[in-house]
Amino acid sequence: MTMSDLDYSAQVLTRHKRRSTRRIVRDGVLLVVMMLVAVVMLYPFYFMINTSFKSNDQFLNGGGHSFASWAKLNANLPWARELLNSTIVCFSAIALILIVSTMAGFAFAKLHYRVQTFVFLGIVAALLIPMQSIIIPAFVNLSRVHLLTSYWGAVLLYAALGTPFATFLMTAYFRGLPDDVIEAGIIDGLSYGSIFRRIALPMAVPAIVTIVVLQFIQIWDDLLVGLLFLQNTDQRTITVGLGVLASGRTADFPVLMAGSLVSALPAIIVFLIFQRFLINGLTAGIGK
Amino acid sequence: MATVRFAKASRIYAANQAPAVNRLDLDIADGEMCVLVGPSGSGKSTALRMLAGLEPVDDGAIFIGERDVTEVEPKRRDIAMVFQNYALYPHMTVRDNMGFALKMAGVSKPEIMRRVDEAAKLLELEPYLDRRPKALSGGQRQRVAMGRAIVREPQVFLMDEPLSNLDAKLRVSTRTQIASLQRRLGITTVYVTHDQVEAMTMGDRVAVLKDGLLQQFDTPIGLYDRPANLFVAGFIGSPAMNLLAGVSTSGGANVLGATVATPGTQVAADTRIVLGVRSEDLVVDSDAPDSECLTLNVELVEELGSDAYIYGIAAGSDTRIVARTAGRQAPARGERVRVRIRPEHLHVFDEATGVRL
Amino acid sequence: MSIPAFALVAFLLGIPIFQAVYYSFTDWNGITATWIGPSTYWTEFKDPQFWRVLENNLLLLLAIPFAILIPMAIAFLLNERVPGWRFFRTVYFLPTAISWVVIGSVALRFFAADGSLNHILASFGLGFIKTDMLSSEYQALAAVAITFVWSMIGTNTIIFLTGMATLDPSLAEAARVDGASVPQIFVHITLPQLKRFIQFAVIMTLISAFTALFSLIFVMTEGGPGFGTTTLEFFVYQTAFSHSLFGTGAMLGIILFVIMAVIGLAQVRLLRSRD
Repeated sequence: MTMSDLDYSAQVLTRHKRRSTRRIVRDGVLLVVMMLVAVVMLYPFYFMINTSFKSNDQFLNGGGHSFASWAKLNANLPWARELLNSTIVCFSAIALILIVSTMAGFAFAKLHYRVQTFVFLGIVAALLIPMQSIIIPAFVNLSRVHLLTSYWGAVLLYAALGTPFATFLMTAYFRGLPDDVIEAGIIDGLSYGSIFRRIALPMAVPAIVTIVVLQFIQIWDDLLVGLLFLQNTDQRTITVGLGVLASGRTADFPVLMAGSLVSALPAIIVFLIFQRFLINGLTAGIGK
Repeated sequence: MATVRFAKASRIYAANQAPAVNRLDLDIADGEMCVLVGPSGSGKSTALRMLAGLEPVDDGAIFIGERDVTEVEPKRRDIAMVFQNYALYPHMTVRDNMGFALKMAGVSKPEIMRRVDEAAKLLELEPYLDRRPKALSGGQRQRVAMGRAIVREPQVFLMDEPLSNLDAKLRVSTRTQIASLQRRLGITTVYVTHDQVEAMTMGDRVAVLKDGLLQQFDTPIGLYDRPANLFVAGFIGSPAMNLLAGVSTSGGANVLGATVATPGTQVAADTRIVLGVRSEDLVVDSDAPDSECLTLNVELVEELGSDAYIYGIAAGSDTRIVARTAGRQAPARGERVRVRIRPEHLHVFDEATGVRL
Repeated sequence: MSIPAFALVAFLLGIPIFQAVYYSFTDWNGITATWIGPSTYWTEFKDPQFWRVLENNLLLLLAIPFAILIPMAIAFLLNERVPGWRFFRTVYFLPTAISWVVIGSVALRFFAADGSLNHILASFGLGFIKTDMLSSEYQALAAVAITFVWSMIGTNTIIFLTGMATLDPSLAEAARVDGASVPQIFVHITLPQLKRFIQFAVIMTLISAFTALFSLIFVMTEGGPGFGTTTLEFFVYQTAFSHSLFGTGAMLGIILFVIMAVIGLAQVRLLRSRD
């Protein structure tokens, strides 16, 4: 018995076509709904972009577009400096978080000392501490140590705030690492430190990227800590700068929108680049 | 209780691809246990899913009883299915798993309880009724999957390789249980497996599929004694049938230097043929005439107690041959052995088409 | 190896908490702290402003079901894997990347009396519904709540979507054969399996509602009008930094912490019992 093109008979064609039509209709309806949702979600972006390209006059009194507000941005907001500050703070804090949480995560997952469970619980319990609860004492502490006039105060605090979650994620991730890889390392004569650096860390890249992305967004977009702990105006982050601009009610709104776009862009870019990792990381984390 | 009929049913994914199921014609009797067997990719699972309504039927039709169910959705077909990985609802207890379909159908609670309890008794699941699937062993889960199907009291049972996830020993014991259960309940069953031993032991009739095409639909012994083509001949029976290339003579065949008579075969002389000989039809015999024998260089001997299987290479060629002999008289590796070809159960196939002659 | 992490957390979070507890019992203007004792708490509990603030938090809770149901529906849509769904998934998650400050600024204009919401309503012929949500207490809270739900949609949709992707498709097939219709499959099979994810989303949303809205409120309403949008977390800031009542601020912070701790423990208890 052999196959021939006669197999693809008229009846098959009709049935296939009928099924595809049904599928197209169904897909079409779903697409329309999804587009509507997209409009709702994207509206603020549209609003921001649209408004930023108006002068204040045009904004208040009806249409037109211009570059006026963008030009004004420089005068109202030292955005370049503040972007730099945001970047410095973000990277420093994230670096600290990563160093600390990867070590801790590896220790909790693979090394087994009795004390560890308590230490682990202690760190994770800190997840419950809302920043508002500690902000005042922390403010006092850090001002006493004169850390409020440098980046360090904010960086340390951001790091401390991000460490519980990061440690939790790293521990969960390292737990999933097969023990035999580590045992192979031991047999090969490596110390735990080397095993950590050369075997565990490279394998933990997805979790690390997840933490970087999440923390980046959180720290970049944070207002409260930045407001209180970076008292020096030329150490201000972009988000705080925007916040200050926004709360002065006489603000030039289109300029505010322009500034918002500038502030939002880096976070968006980081997100777009790393979104796949983020989704994988979330799946791994919640699934247990 | 119903018959099942595939009428030239096909599943074609795209115009330029071979059909997954190619014009399948199958007439399954009421109460029969029909096994679909074949290697992976043969279309057996696809055919089952078409019967279930989980795959669309691109050409032809499928009937349950007198009803054309080709376009009917699964839940209206009055069928029940046992999945390969059991597909038990993990968040429900065994009792709820088994009762789910009835609940969906709006059956009354006391009736659901009655049927579930009955099925649980039948399958010895009573102590587990309030457990969740993850607290059960593989064998227990398999029984729950069966129970879920039984409780529906459907017209047709569909089983998709239900034993393949069990360990070997459990497989054998569960096999008999399923077969006797089916007999007792008398519900038409379509059973898919890739294991020909399972097919042979369980099926009233077995359909052998390859590449979407039906090779043969017959009773187990029919498949064994009268394979319709080379594929079936080589697929059914363990160890596999010896397939020897040769040339036909008038009334017989020449293979590997031996001549045998093949009565009942209609073939012109000098046709290239393949002769099929089962291992039990090759007898170790040092006295038989040369013309009826093959000489084997023994490579390996499998001692199974009462029987032994000799694996060797026919002298003068590189054809591998299996012969069966009594367990305690097996030759050793490296020896040369003469086996006589018994003419009673020979099979002749056309070399080009593979069809039985 | 875990010491650095522990040290960091202990010094910057742990110690301050204990300090906060101490300070909560004092009258502290930032320079001198005079011990008063538990009466600080009693005084606060008698303050009607305090209860108003708590009321706001409770009202905000009402928004949480929306922040769960809407993403669930969207995730369901996305899960149908219509061609291009990945693009939509990214689009829906994009708002998560922008800061609350930005969102707040836009929301401010949106809900203002001469803002976009009214414009849109007018263009649909509903111009008679002129709202001025931000100048009435409860409506302002609603505006904040709506903005909050909007921003949680992205995160929660992703959570539910990843959840749905982990489901075993043969379960849905078995349910089809068992006679369940599409909504029945969703209710009896899909939802129970998503329980973990739903729990996670609820906790995240809850924590956000109580601790992450500061920037939004700061920019959008500054807690007003009156105390209309002052949630507990904003109240902490306001009391301490605007009124220089650091002791009271610390105490409010402790109250917030206790609430979060209760929620956190309740969740742990829930998780353990269901397994």
